[in-house]
Amino acid sequence: MNSFIGKIKDAFQGNDDFFCKKQIICGESVFVIGLDSLVELDKTLGELKEYKVIEEIEQHGEELADIETAEASLLEGKLLLARTNKDLAISLVPAPVSLNRSIESSSNENVVLGSPISFNEDIKLNIGLVRKNMKSQHLKVKTYEMGKQYKKEIALLYNQEMVHSELLSKIQDQIAKFMNQAELECIQDAYKMLGLKKWSFVTQINTTEIPDEALRAIGKGRVVLFIDRLSLALILPGVLRDMIFLYNDHNYPYPLMLSVRLLRIMGILLALIIPGLYVALVAVNPEVLRIEIALSVAQSREGVPYPAIIEILIMLLILELILEASIRLPSSIGPTITMVGGIILGQAVVEAKLVSNLLIIILAAATIANSTIVGFQNSISIRIFKYLIVFLASLYGILGILVGLFIICTYLASIETFGIPYLYFNLNKGEKSSG
Amino acid sequence: MKRYLLLILLLTSMFILSGCWDNKDINHRVMPVVLGVTQQDENYEVYLQIPQPAGGQIESIVVSGTGKTVNEIIDHISANMERSVDLLHVKVIVVDRELAEKGVKDLISGFIRSRDISSKALFAVIDQDLSTFFGAMSSEPKAEGTILLDFFEKSAGWDPQIALTRIWEVYRSIYSYTNDVAVPLMKLGKTTLVEHTGSAVIKNGVMMGDISANKTLLYNAFNGESTLGKIEVLDDASVMILGEKMKFKSKLEEDIPVFSLFLKLKVTILETINDPSENEIKKELEKLLTERYQSLFEQMKESESDILGIGQYFRREIPRDQLKEWRSVYFPELKVDFNIEIDIQNTGNLKIRKG
Repeated sequence: MNSFIGKIKDAFQGNDDFFCKKQIICGESVFVIGLDSLVELDKTLGELKEYKVIEEIEQHGEELADIETAEASLLEGKLLLARTNKDLAISLVPAPVSLNRSIESSSNENVVLGSPISFNEDIKLNIGLVRKNMKSQHLKVKTYEMGKQYKKEIALLYNQEMVHSELLSKIQDQIAKFMNQAELECIQDAYKMLGLKKWSFVTQINTTEIPDEALRAIGKGRVVLFIDRLSLALILPGVLRDMIFLYNDHNYPYPLMLSVRLLRIMGILLALIIPGLYVALVAVNPEVLRIEIALSVAQSREGVPYPAIIEILIMLLILELILEASIRLPSSIGPTITMVGGIILGQAVVEAKLVSNLLIIILAAATIANSTIVGFQNSISIRIFKYLIVFLASLYGILGILVGLFIICTYLASIETFGIPYLYFNLNKGEKSSG
Repeated sequence: MKRYLLLILLLTSMFILSGCWDNKDINHRVMPVVLGVTQQDENYEVYLQIPQPAGGQIESIVVSGTGKTVNEIIDHISANMERSVDLLHVKVIVVDRELAEKGVKDLISGFIRSRDISSKALFAVIDQDLSTFFGAMSSEPKAEGTILLDFFEKSAGWDPQIALTRIWEVYRSIYSYTNDVAVPLMKLGKTTLVEHTGSAVIKNGVMMGDISANKTLLYNAFNGESTLGKIEVLDDASVMILGEKMKFKSKLEEDIPVFSLFLKLKVTILETINDPSENEIKKELEKLLTERYQSLFEQMKESESDILGIGQYFRREIPRDQLKEWRSVYFPELKVDFNIEIDIQNTGNLKIRKG
């Protein structure tokens, strides 16, 4: 046994899925080395044994002389072939153990009209999905290997003709700077990699799991980033329109598309304002209400012990808990939460005179409105902004709501991703956007 | 670090300076809808009609108090009630005839000065003792608290014969040289809760007299608010106003103001008596309206109160220093030329004799 094999064996000591077996291939005795969690050994050997001479096999592979590259290629799932008399190994691409899902329909984003297929964990497959749909030589794919300790493949996809050159060069600079600095595992790491602010209340990287949306983003001159083993396309930069517009809306007739989008805008506004409006009208500015409504509101609050702000905060907390709990629970237990939550929100709280029944209507309306926002990550932003308005409304009433909206607008206007403002609507280079 | 400290300081000051601990929730406020004021000797007496939810229904209660100023009385009432009195919902302010004739200048100025009462609140004069009036209000089983408010509500019980005058308009009339107001005049009705008897003419905050409901309709027509108003033409028919157009011309001839009024009314016929023809109705109506306007003007001139705001049209002709004599010098000399044109737009479901 030569020293090369010995070193590799030392490096993978303690790994029971590591194998190093002596085999006779093409009449020559060789060591096949690999990880059986990644390599389908029997199948690979069967294929290898079809070759006549070993040199033919060696032509397919890559010669590896140093131990580090050998280790890396083993971890990537390659098979090493080491001849007993030589101090080097040949890395081959074996038949892999299948660790991927097949292409499935998306589970977190619903598509009413249009293809429901979604990205999955395999970066090659994701790039393929984009390539398949965008048959253009302008589509460029740049891959990088990132990560300090754990190597991870990422891919930048963009349309060479459409992309904002400044955006692209800034992203590439950032990636080059970050390379091998730290690990890249989640979207927060991606923020770090791209040098975006950690304390951002809106998503500056828009995510989607639907290839159509990613395609459209590329067509609009944006850059799509794939991270291996992350079943999402990261669209750069994220802008406000991602909250309202879906590419799939174009599958509706034009007027219907407009009304659907208008509905979403109203949804955002309602989700933001309604809880604050309740507090403002009940506690600070009841004179805004017509007397009839004022009286019936007063009647519905008769006997409620808390001031409006406490009342709404308690109920909002319960509501957020229900939302979070229904994500956490396995789907088989999920209905329990719906039922229990429904009992609390629907009946019991009102009957116990803890909150007014008007508040329940307000909360239900706000939650429903919140759900019209495109993208779960975006709806969380709105959910947080809502609290700012609730607090300001409890201090300054209607004026506070206006101030709150103003603060939110200024905040959104202050955000800039790679030189593109968050409120930028027309992302096309030069030409007019069709929405 | 300094920036964060500043931010925290700003945020805390937002809480400290807001005064939000004074906010009272809606169910801890009483929201009077009607405010009645009368004067006894030197003291004001204030009545508040307060709708209150009770057992799924809205009842109305009346509270009252006496004191030197309205605010003092309200304070006193507020202290004695289990909730705080919030005057922002006051929609109707009534005074009795006695106080109106004495003058409401201080009262209205006080309402405008304090931010508690909306300047959009309506003003009305009660031709009766206020304690009787409010006594009947609170004992009325159907009085859902908003009954007097609904009476004036355009989407509810308002009729074109009722003048709608806000307290800011009354306040304006106190200081304007050329514009007075008419406010509704009411008392308790025999079969209905309230009975509208016409309008009180208020000049410089003092009630000068009253005009009938029919004339109030003309007052409203002059202000463009008579649509759906009904007019009975004696002996012939009754009609309903569908629309109106009004034009004015004003000129000063040797210090005598001459005013021409062109009124075009679109009407529909509701009822006829003894089968009159279209032309007869037209003529009769034109004559009737001209007479009514003439008598309204006569009455206005007599009391030297310009509720139609005719003086507004002469502002460019009369110098500012003489304008304050509009009511006393110019207005009584006013010559008015009436041109009333009636267009019978339809005759209802039945035809009518032409000619």
